[in-house]
Amino acid sequence: MSRILTMARAGREALDWEMERRDEIFVLGEDVYNFGGIFGTADGFGAKYGPERVINTPISETGFIGMAAGAAMAGMHPVIDLAYIDFIGVCYNVLLNTASKTHYMSAGQVRVPMTLMIGTGGGYSNAAQHSQALHATVAHIPGVKVVYPSNAYDAKGMMHSALRDPNFVIYLTHKGTAGVGWMGTPIKTTLSNVPEEPYTVPFGKIAIIREGTDVTIVGLGMSVHESLKAADVLAKEGISAQVVDLRSLAPLDRDGIFNAVKKTGRLIVTDEDYLSYGVSGEIIASVVERDPTVLRAPPVRVCTPDIPIPFARSMEQAILPLAGRIAEAARKIVK
Amino acid sequence: MTDVRVPLDLWAEDDKTGSIVVWLYPDGAVVKEGDLIAEILVEKTTLELYAPASGTLKISVEPEIVIDKGELVATIV
Repeated sequence: MSRILTMARAGREALDWEMERRDEIFVLGEDVYNFGGIFGTADGFGAKYGPERVINTPISETGFIGMAAGAAMAGMHPVIDLAYIDFIGVCYNVLLNTASKTHYMSAGQVRVPMTLMIGTGGGYSNAAQHSQALHATVAHIPGVKVVYPSNAYDAKGMMHSALRDPNFVIYLTHKGTAGVGWMGTPIKTTLSNVPEEPYTVPFGKIAIIREGTDVTIVGLGMSVHESLKAADVLAKEGISAQVVDLRSLAPLDRDGIFNAVKKTGRLIVTDEDYLSYGVSGEIIASVVERDPTVLRAPPVRVCTPDIPIPFARSMEQAILPLAGRIAEAARKIVK
Repeated sequence: MTDVRVPLDLWAEDDKTGSIVVWLYPDGAVVKEGDLIAEILVEKTTLELYAPASGTLKISVEPEIVIDKGELVATIV
């Protein structure tokens, strides 16, 4: 039996299922106990599991994420809600040097089973400190898995996978895809028919969301949905676009990306993270390093420029990698 | 046929309206009594609407339209 779920509800269903059966799992973060997390990650969990397993923290990420890493080493499985990736800076030492390195540095003797849920991205006029994507900043850390579901089916399956992983997983959700009511009506392509039973979605496999023959558009998170919108527009103009959802940044499915691009010979990477030093360059490098002759045209990046995200809606909409910019890039590359 | 109405006690204040965020089943789907069928937003709070009967869901109010307590949003036949 399946129902249509939002990403927030689907991820929460997996977390709830695992928490019901495994006492070592607990949730911590700002506003998780009373409010259920700003983006609905733990809605209703405070009442169900009580304050010992759903812990409201002060605004002190350095402290509580360090505490979580220690708890994980001691046999617990903390699940942290960090609503905004913009504040990753104050967590960074624990992520960079503790949670991601201890398994390796202890020669496999100490595991750090910890799931860090992070909200990313903009598009809703939340200004420069609450709108950044920044996923490259965490995907750059060796020793951590970084996954980025873009629809409800993957949100549930990847949450089960993260909670059963013996080590540190960062689970990213673009805030605009979560489907929490106060952000507006959910984007249709984020909703999925989700089975009631638990299931896992393995990390490190791309998904081809839409088949196409003229150009491959690779995206992640929100940019998958903007790419799908662009593909609809392009189809009416006779351009057939293939849309690829990365789903996982570490591990990255380089084989899957290469094989998808080989089919069309044209590559657009669209990424809401900043243009420079990011995932978009990594995807292009992965293809070109392997065999540049599969490309019939120079690859193109459609990303957020290297500037602070504007607050004004008109300016923010102009700089984000939305469907209009993606479609325009596709028209140029197929010429 | 059973009316699916927004329960009068779903939220306390009489002067507040809501809107459907998402239907969890498509129009024409078969639902069971007690199934969660929709999310309703009131201010920043997401509330839940459950099926009052088993049968085929006929949706009459789409998301993003302002609704009041007691309003008919679907029927189950």
